[in-house]
Amino acid sequence: MAPPMIDPALFDQLRASIEEDTAVRKELEQIVDELNQDVSFTQGILSKIHSTPRSKYPTLLPQIEQGIQKEISSIARLSSFASKYPYYKYNHRYARTLQDAISTLLLTAWLGSPSFSPTPNVPGHLLTLEDVGRVLQAPVNLKSGRDDDVFHVTIEDYLLGLISVVDDLSRLAMNSVTLGDAALAVQISSFIKDLHAGFQILNLKNDILRKRVDSIKYAVKKAEDIVYDLSLRNLIPKKEGEAGGAERTEETA
Amino acid sequence: MSGYKRDWKGNEKRRDGPKPPPKQNLVQNQYTPMFETIRAELDEHHDRRERIVKISRDITALSKKIIFSLQRVRKIDPTLPKNIQSEIDTRLSEIAKLLAALAPEVQGINRHRYARSLMCLEELAEALTFAHYLRTQTLIGPADLNLVVQDLTRQGAAPSASEDTVMTDDGPTPAPAPAPAPAPDSAPDSAPAPASASSLPAVVDLTQEDYLYGVFDLTGEMMRFATTSTALSGTMGMAAGAGAGAEGNEEPRTIVADMHELGSFFEMLPVGAGNKFQWNKKLDVTRQSVRKVERLGYDRTIRGSERPKGWVPDLSGVGDVEEEE
Repeated sequence: MAPPMIDPALFDQLRASIEEDTAVRKELEQIVDELNQDVSFTQGILSKIHSTPRSKYPTLLPQIEQGIQKEISSIARLSSFASKYPYYKYNHRYARTLQDAISTLLLTAWLGSPSFSPTPNVPGHLLTLEDVGRVLQAPVNLKSGRDDDVFHVTIEDYLLGLISVVDDLSRLAMNSVTLGDAALAVQISSFIKDLHAGFQILNLKNDILRKRVDSIKYAVKKAEDIVYDLSLRNLIPKKEGEAGGAERTEETA
Repeated sequence: MSGYKRDWKGNEKRRDGPKPPPKQNLVQNQYTPMFETIRAELDEHHDRRERIVKISRDITALSKKIIFSLQRVRKIDPTLPKNIQSEIDTRLSEIAKLLAALAPEVQGINRHRYARSLMCLEELAEALTFAHYLRTQTLIGPADLNLVVQDLTRQGAAPSASEDTVMTDDGPTPAPAPAPAPAPDSAPDSAPAPASASSLPAVVDLTQEDYLYGVFDLTGEMMRFATTSTALSGTMGMAAGAGAGAEGNEEPRTIVADMHELGSFFEMLPVGAGNKFQWNKKLDVTRQSVRKVERLGYDRTIRGSERPKGWVPDLSGVGDVEEEE
């Protein structure tokens, strides 16, 4: 007699592996939820930069760093869990959150965070992908072949995180003027322009990265408009980077 | 004022035409080197994806052709008609070469990275499961199917000469060896890889999704097969082999029963968490296929005896004509 259509063992085997997959996703979701909370908390404190004059950064930055430390420990949990499975099988479940975490880290460091920037309390330093990996204690840019298939920070994660920073900085440029810190606005503008030039070097395909990169030009324009407004009124301080807004602070006062 | 040329509408004409925008290397700043490194990395990624997509498209096309060939089979039998078998063998050896070219691109971490560009494997799974069904009237398991694909890859990597062994795997053997079955994909392939590392280390692995979605599509092919073979021969392509007397008291097993079994099989499986939407869509199509085959079974029971027995346009076995009943 003919063998059965379906080997009876097959069903159990498939069911078991589908159930395992579901269980992995559930656990992952929990971890990502926690990370998400840390990220939005950090983003919350970080949003205070828009209303904090630069002289108060030394007190604000350590608070932000606490949030980032939480992110780091959540990412460590995520890393050790996700490394058990093929990275690209599940990474879309947390890529967005991870990118947000990276962007908080990049922005905080750029602002001169004492723990993450080599230039404490002096804004303007951009962490590289490798720096990010070092802070997050994760490998970066793993590729095929001999690399292990484990949790890591991809180039895309870094770039997408960086684009969020650009967006945030263009907002900060405006608010820093309001706070009487024209020098910061000028510095931001030139930073954004540099990054924009950098992104222009890339050969992008029609994907999410391309779409987000396209948004940078609006940030550039926003920052340039601010600089234009400042220069029109002769508000740009002669020397950059020191005690900003030297000429006029009465705008807000 | 007068220095401008004008076109027929009176608009100023640019003297030297549009200047090519001097884009790259125009701006050099401290971040330029970083972005140049990134560009190289991204280009590598995009190029690889492009190569994979191309190969994938070819494999899909060939798999579809195999399925078309298989649809010309009229009955389930351990040996496929010669002309069809040779068509399939040709296609499979082409696929084997493509798989061999694909294999190094999708090792390790890249297997899932480019999973979405590898839809061809679903199609290939569909073709292979269908061929297996037509020969054995059973569903091949994922582990065994994976072995078939790995073998194909190795044959494609080997310098030809092995075309005759393509797909000569078990004909009448029952759904084979459950022994390798419980092992997940990772175990069997990691072992031989370093062993034969010298010439052909890389093989393409099917994921469970490839398998399951391939089998989903298999139900559609079975439906089509049942329909054509009923229409043309009035027999639903029953297994003629197995020695069970053709019109014995009980026929071996009908496609209707197989479809029911597959249908329940999928209904009982938990929904794959990965892509519920796609899963449900496929499940819906499967349900419809089951219904259609049910209907066929009904028709044949009611009206089967009224069918004129006689000329059967069995286009498949031109070479080796075998009579039914």
